[in-house]
Amino acid sequence: MTDLQLWLSAMEMGCFFGMLALAYHLIYVGAGFFNFAIGPYAMMGGLCTSWLVITYDLGVWPAAAIGVAATIALAAATELGVVRPVQKRGGGELPALVAVAAVLFAIQQFAGYLFGYPTLPGQSLASFAPVPVGDITVQPSSLLLIVVAVLTFVATAAWIRFSRTGRLLRAVGDSNQAAALLGLPVNRIRLIAFVVAGFVAALAGLLFAPKAGVNSLSGLHWSLSGFLAVVVGGTGSVWAPLLGGMLLGLVEVFLPYYFGGQSHVYGMLLIALLFFAFKPQGLFVRKVRA
Amino acid sequence: MAEETLLVGRGLTKRYGGVTALEGVDFELRAGEILGLVGPNGAGKTTLVDLISGAQAATTGELVLRGSKLTGPASRRARAGLARTFQYPQLALELSVRDNLLLGWAARRHASLWQMIVGAAAGALRPRVPADQAAVRTLAEELGIEGLDRAAGDLTLGEQRLVEVGRALGQDPLVLLLDEPFAGSDARGVTGIAEVIHTVQRRGHAVILVDHNVDLVARLVDRVMLLDRGRVVFDGDPRECLASPQMQSVYFGSDADTDTDSGAGSPETQAEVEDVRS
Amino acid sequence: MTTTISRPTVSSDRWDPRRIPGGGGLALGVAVAALILVWVGSDGYRQTLVISAATYALIALGMYVPYLMAGSLSMAYSAYAGIGGYAVGLISARTGLPLVVAWIAGPIVAALVAVVLGMVTRRLSGFFLAAVTLLFGMAFTAFLIDAESVSGGSGGLGNLRPLNLLGWTPSHYHVVVGSAVVVCVIAFLLDRLRLSPWGVVVRTMRDAPRAVEAAGVRVPVLNIVALALGAMIAAVGGGLFTYAAGSITPDTFTLNIVFLAIFMPLIGGAGTPWGAVAGAVIAVELTLNFPAVQTSGTLLLAVGVLVIMLVAPKGVVGYADKLRTRLWALLRKERDRG
Ligand SMILES: Nc1ncnc2c1ncn2[C@@H]1O[C@H](COP(=O)(O)OP(=O)(O)OP(=O)(O)O)[C@@H](O)[C@H]1O
Ligand SMILES: [Mg+2]
Repeated sequence: MTDLQLWLSAMEMGCFFGMLALAYHLIYVGAGFFNFAIGPYAMMGGLCTSWLVITYDLGVWPAAAIGVAATIALAAATELGVVRPVQKRGGGELPALVAVAAVLFAIQQFAGYLFGYPTLPGQSLASFAPVPVGDITVQPSSLLLIVVAVLTFVATAAWIRFSRTGRLLRAVGDSNQAAALLGLPVNRIRLIAFVVAGFVAALAGLLFAPKAGVNSLSGLHWSLSGFLAVVVGGTGSVWAPLLGGMLLGLVEVFLPYYFGGQSHVYGMLLIALLFFAFKPQGLFVRKVRA
Repeated sequence: MAEETLLVGRGLTKRYGGVTALEGVDFELRAGEILGLVGPNGAGKTTLVDLISGAQAATTGELVLRGSKLTGPASRRARAGLARTFQYPQLALELSVRDNLLLGWAARRHASLWQMIVGAAAGALRPRVPADQAAVRTLAEELGIEGLDRAAGDLTLGEQRLVEVGRALGQDPLVLLLDEPFAGSDARGVTGIAEVIHTVQRRGHAVILVDHNVDLVARLVDRVMLLDRGRVVFDGDPRECLASPQMQSVYFGSDADTDTDSGAGSPETQAEVEDVRS
Repeated sequence: MTTTISRPTVSSDRWDPRRIPGGGGLALGVAVAALILVWVGSDGYRQTLVISAATYALIALGMYVPYLMAGSLSMAYSAYAGIGGYAVGLISARTGLPLVVAWIAGPIVAALVAVVLGMVTRRLSGFFLAAVTLLFGMAFTAFLIDAESVSGGSGGLGNLRPLNLLGWTPSHYHVVVGSAVVVCVIAFLLDRLRLSPWGVVVRTMRDAPRAVEAAGVRVPVLNIVALALGAMIAAVGGGLFTYAAGSITPDTFTLNIVFLAIFMPLIGGAGTPWGAVAGAVIAVELTLNFPAVQTSGTLLLAVGVLVIMLVAPKGVVGYADKLRTRLWALLRKERDRG
C-alpha cells in the first residue's frame, strides 16, 4: 500500500466523519443538544439502499432515494415523537440523552429486524471507470464521496449564510429563548434542522457504505466518530466539522497502519480525553457577539 | 457581645471578560453582626455572595475567616463555617422537604473521602437515624415549615426559600449568607427567616442578608452595605443609609435606571447558555 | 405487638414491618424471586435465563447509583462487568488462589478503574461523559483482544475451576439460587442506601450540585465514590455470569448490555433499585425467552422503552406503586366503613 493510498483513505474517512459531524452540528445549532442517533441515520441510509438493491433488484438510484427518504422520515420522527416531548418535560440534559440513546438502540434493532443482521455490501452510485492518480487508482465510489462531501459543505454554508431559514437557524442557535421571545418559529426551525441533518447523514452513510459494507450495528461507532469530529472541530463554524472529521480520518487510517490492530480505538479515546479536558470548545469557537 | 472579627474581605474583584461585576470590595463582619447587602439589579450582590462562599473564584482579593485564609472550593469553605442560600433556590425537587432539610445537617458526616465511603456503608445498614430525624424536625419547627413529606418541587417559591434557609441553618454556620431570602415569601415565611437570623446572632455568629428592599433590611440588620455597579458606595448604619445621598443617587438618580436595567436577568441567560454547552 | 407499647416514642415511629426502610421492596422482590426459582426447577435453559437476568440486574443496579441517584450517565459498565468476569477467569486459569478471591479482587480492580476514569472525566457530564465512557468500553474490548498473553485474546478464557467454599462445591442450581439471593440483597441495600443521608446527598447532586457543594461535600469526589460503588456491583455481576457460563471472551459483555442496562430502570421504574431488577427480568424475558418474537424481542424492548419514557415515566414499579397506594386507600375505606 502506498502512502498516497493511505492519504486517500484518510480523506474518505475524513469526509465521511465530517458529514456526520455536520449533521450533529446542524441539530446542535437548532436544538441545542447532540443527537447520538446520527450514526444510525447514516447506517439506515446505507443499509436500506443496499437491502433494496439486493433483495428487490431495484435500481441503485431509486433505492437510494427511498433510503434517504426513510432516513429523513426517521429524523423528523425523532424530533417530533421523542426529543421534543421529552425536552418539554424538562429535567435537564439527562432525559434527552437517555431518549436519544433509546432512539439509537431502537433504530439499530429496527434495521436488524427489517434488513437482517449480516453486513451488506454498499452500492455505488457512480459507474464510471476507476480514475488513475499517480501510481494508484481512485475508485468511483471514493471520488463520489469526496466530491459530494465538499459540495454538501459548500451548500450548507451557503444555505446558512444566505437563505432566510439558514439565518433563522443561526438566530435560534444563538439563543433559543430569545428567538422564541422574538416570535421566531423555533419549532419549525428545529424540525428543519433535524430533516437536513437526516439528509446529510443518510447521504454520508450511503456514499461510505461501498468502502466496507454496512450492517445494522455500524451506527454506534459512526455516532461516536461523528461526535468526536464535532468536538474536535468545535461548533464555531459550518466548516469546523469537516476539519474535525479530517483529523479523525487521519487517526483512523494512520494509527492502525503504524501501530497495528486496534490502535485507532485507543487513539480515539485519547483524542476524546485530551479534547474534553483541554479544549472542550473545539478548535473553532464562535466569537460571542456583544 | 464579643467584638471579635469573624470574616474579612479585602479587595474582592470579579471580572467576566470585559464586564466588571465587582470592584475592590472591602468589608469586615464581626461576630454576632447582621450585615445587610443592598443595591439595585446587577449591583453585584450575588457575585459577592458567590465569591465569599466559593461558588465562583475571585479575580483578585482575599478572605479571612477567624484569622485564617478562606480559600478553595465551596465545600471547603462550607466546612470552615459558611452556609448560604441561593437567589434561585437549589433544591432537589423530587426529594421530600424532609430530605432537603436533612442535607445541610447530614453533609458534615460526608465531608472527607473516608467519610463518604463509611457513610455509604452506614447508610445501607442503618438508613434512618433518629438523631437526624429529630434535627430535621427542630429545623422545620424553627422555620414553621409544615408538610415535610411533600416533594420540594410542589412548594411555592417562598416555601422553597424557607427550606433552603433551614438547610443552611442545619449546617450551624459561623457566617450565614442569605441571597434575597424574602422574595416570594408570605408573612409567615418572613417571620421564620427573621427568627433564623436571630438564632444565628444569638449563637454569636453572623449573617449577611441580601435584599432589594432597603426598608425591610433596615429593620433587621445592624449595618448595611450599599453596592452600586460593583462598588461599595455606603457602609454604615441602616437608617443613615436610607437618608444618605448615595442612596438617593443609586435608586433615584437620573442615570440609574438606564444602567441598572441592562444588568437585570443577564446572569441567568449566561448560565443557561453555559448549561447548553457543558 | 408488645414492642409498640414498651417504646416511649411518638406513634409515627412505632415499629411496624412495613416501616423498615426498604422492607416492602424486599418482601416483594424475595416473593417474586422465589416464584421464579420454583418455575425454573431443574430446567437447564431456564436456569441460564435466571443467571442472565441476575447479571443484567447487577449491571443495572451498578449503574443505578451514578446514573439515577447522582445523575451522571457513565457507560463504561461493560468494562466493569468484564473486569469482574476476567477476575474469575484469570484467578481460575493463572493462579492457585481460591476462586472466591475473584469476587473480592474483581470489584476492587473495577472500582479502581472507575476511580481513574472518573478522575479523568470529572469535568464532563451528559453527552460528553457518555461518549468518552462508551469509547472507554470499546477500548477495553480492544485491549482484551490485543493483550493475548493475559486475557487469552479473542478466544478468551475457559475451563474454569469450580468454586470451593470450605470444601463445599455448589451445584449449578445452587449458583442459580445464589445469584437470585445476591441480587435481592444488593437491591435491598441500595434501596436503603437511597433513603439514607448518603443517598439524600447523592440524589441532591443530581438536581442541585451547587447546594451539595455549598453544604460542604465535594461533589466531584462523591461522584467518583458513587461511580466506584457502581463499578463494584457490576463486577460482581460479571463474575457471577462468567462463573455460571464457565468461560469469558471479549464479547461476553458488549455495549448492547450497557444500553439495555440504561433502559432497565426505565422499564421497571427509576424510583427504586427494584425497578432495575424488574426491568432486567423483563429484558431477559423479551430478548431471550419469547419464542414468538425471538428476533424482534430487542426491538420490542427498545420501542417499549420509548413508549414508557413518553407515556409512563415512572416505569412498571412506579405504576404498580400507584396501584398499590390506591388499593390500600380503598381497603382502608372499606375497613373504616365495616
Ligand atoms: N456569568 C456571568 N457572566 C457575565 N457577567 C455576569 C455573570 N454573572 C453576573 N454578571 C454580571 O455581573 C453583574 C453583577 O451581577 P449580580 O448577579 O451579582 O447582581 P445582583 O446585585 O445580585 O443583582 P440582582 O438584584 O438582579 O440579583 C451584573 O452586571 C451581571 O450582568
Ligand atoms: Mg442577585
